Amino acid sequence: MAPRRSPAAALEVALATRRVLVTCGSGGVGKTTTAAALALWAARGGRRVLVCTIDPSRRLATSLGKGPLSGRPRAIDLKAFAPARGGSLFAMVLDVKGTFDALVARHTKDAAARDRILKNRFYQHVSEALAGSHEYMAMEKLFELAQDERFDLVVLDTPPTRHALDFLEAPERLLGFLDVGILRFFLRPYFVAGRLTVRVATRTGAAVLRILDRFMGLQFLQELSEFFLAFEGMYDGFRARAAEVHALLRAESTGFVLVAGPQPQALEEALFFHRRLAEKRMAFVAFLVNRVHTDPASVGGARRGAKVVVEPGLAARLRETLHEQQVLARVERRAIARLEVDTRERPVLVPELEQDVHDLRGLAAFSELVFAAAKERARAAGASR
Amino acid sequence: MLLDSLFARRLVVLTGKGGVGKSVVGAALALAARGRGKRVLLVEVGAPLEAARRLGGAPSRGRETEALPGLFTLNLDPQTVMDEYVRHVVKFDLVARRVLASPIYHRFFAAAPGLKELMVLGKIMVLEQANRRLSREPLWDLIVVDAPATGHGLAYLKVPLAASRAVPVGPIGHNARRILALLRDPERTSIVVVAAPEEMAVVEAVELYRATRDDVRIEPQAVVLNGCHERRFSDEDEAWVLRLGTKSESGELEPGVPLQAAVRAARRQIRRRKLTRFYRDRLHRSLDSPLVSLPFLFREALGVDELSTLADALEAA
Repeated sequence: MAPRRSPAAALEVALATRRVLVTCGSGGVGKTTTAAALALWAARGGRRVLVCTIDPSRRLATSLGKGPLSGRPRAIDLKAFAPARGGSLFAMVLDVKGTFDALVARHTKDAAARDRILKNRFYQHVSEALAGSHEYMAMEKLFELAQDERFDLVVLDTPPTRHALDFLEAPERLLGFLDVGILRFFLRPYFVAGRLTVRVATRTGAAVLRILDRFMGLQFLQELSEFFLAFEGMYDGFRARAAEVHALLRAESTGFVLVAGPQPQALEEALFFHRRLAEKRMAFVAFLVNRVHTDPASVGGARRGAKVVVEPGLAARLRETLHEQQVLARVERRAIARLEVDTRERPVLVPELEQDVHDLRGLAAFSELVFAAAKERARAAGASR
Repeated sequence: MLLDSLFARRLVVLTGKGGVGKSVVGAALALAARGRGKRVLLVEVGAPLEAARRLGGAPSRGRETEALPGLFTLNLDPQTVMDEYVRHVVKFDLVARRVLASPIYHRFFAAAPGLKELMVLGKIMVLEQANRRLSREPLWDLIVVDAPATGHGLAYLKVPLAASRAVPVGPIGHNARRILALLRDPERTSIVVVAAPEEMAVVEAVELYRATRDDVRIEPQAVVLNGCHERRFSDEDEAWVLRLGTKSESGELEPGVPLQAAVRAARRQIRRRKLTRFYRDRLHRSLDSPLVSLPFLFREALGVDELSTLADALEAA
């Protein structure tokens, strides 16, 4: 089971050639850090790179070591890293509300139609705080950024949802939600009459309406029907855009990096993502496993020599400490081996760092480690063959 | 002591960034409550890898399932909760089935933002209010909710507030307000923020704590710092280890155990325990809340025994 090429090489090629790189993974696995570090690496290699995070908690800003980022790309000073000619790095966070508003403005025919939506109470709450909107808008923004001539590469950091690939279906879901034709058909007279005097074509339709009414109440339905009526005429634009996003995610110039932690559970989720990518015919680039604990006894070779005399209590504590970390390394090694067998892919393994990454220098060190560690591993694998 | 105050309420909701071990803390809390003789329900939402698995129980399949005597697990699938609600509202089976099969229903409920979260919280409220048939005593002495880690940790807690504002009148608004009242009632609900001793996790725990308090106006009851490394070596020994580590030391601690490996492991332990202290201090300084530390477990697997260790640590806090 010899993989075609080293995973780090695959990652490096992707960073040098693709237009869009999406990092996916469950929460707490260093996804944002990885996205920023890969973006920095590509920028140092001479590409014009934008890294965009969806995370509203400004984690990217934390790892770039600067003040808060905004919805507009901001240049990151790379002087200290002497990037190759032409290389530059921009960073931004997704502005969900702003993106949604812009989407509405683009697809409405006049200012009155636009304002009717923007002022709708249902829209205001839907577009802002609620879960789900982030995913819709991430895809919308990604499409816009991928067309942006200022950038050669867009690295997108995705939200750490449990089913992290759900957001890839966001455009279709948004469309499904807004374009429930029959629902609009029912809601129009609702809105007009303001009460339940709708003639319904089917018994199921009547039952759905009854549930909606029971569950949400008449006032909500009115708000909702206003909302749907306001979106009338935008569906074609939305549908076209959803199709474009769908195509972008499957384009040859787009790739996905699956980030995971070394714990069995985190790797199980990575395996799940890998399957989903294949189902959706989206291009897998590499697995990247962060914070891998190496066995302390495996590094540098076991030196034999005279017994060192250590006070018994201390010796016992040292033994226990070593034993614990060997257990941890073993558990992780097994889980990684399982992933390799199940996916026939070798992940890029990044050892645990001495310090948390929260500035550019740390990101640079991290990316150097990504490629150095992987190259070393490829060399070792080559030598053993 | 911490548990006395947490378990004085019947609903404990855990929040925190993904990857900090929320589900492990939830299972440990449930075990601790069970240890006090309580009848406990551990609720997860759409968990792909259920806590039941760690507790040795069967997957819940949407029903309260007894994993250990007195400890039940329930993995809520939002879609199933929604379907259940439809069946409850529509009394006729045939009609209900047609509704559930209808594309309108699916497309609308799949995509309507916030609706799933609201349904799940509504279900939890129903569970909290459920009584035993004869005695009229509460069905559950304690319900522990492991709220899903989304990119926006507050999403779940914010939904009832947003919904009650978006639709003040009507059943949605009414139910959203009831849910909000339950979550905000310090007599009935405790919110616990789970963190880990790492930069991002601590930054987010502080943000989450403040947002819960200031935006949703619920004061979290406690912060649990999971995965802590405590001091193991005396100052003197630590200094010795650090001194040794900088040189490439040869020799063996005992046959087959190279000193270098032991020193490397010890240095890592020292670094981790210093980070733990650093982040614990920062949480103490930033938040005016009881803080409980749970140890990092070096184990082959996390089963009932390991979770019981954590439950004991919670009990001792």
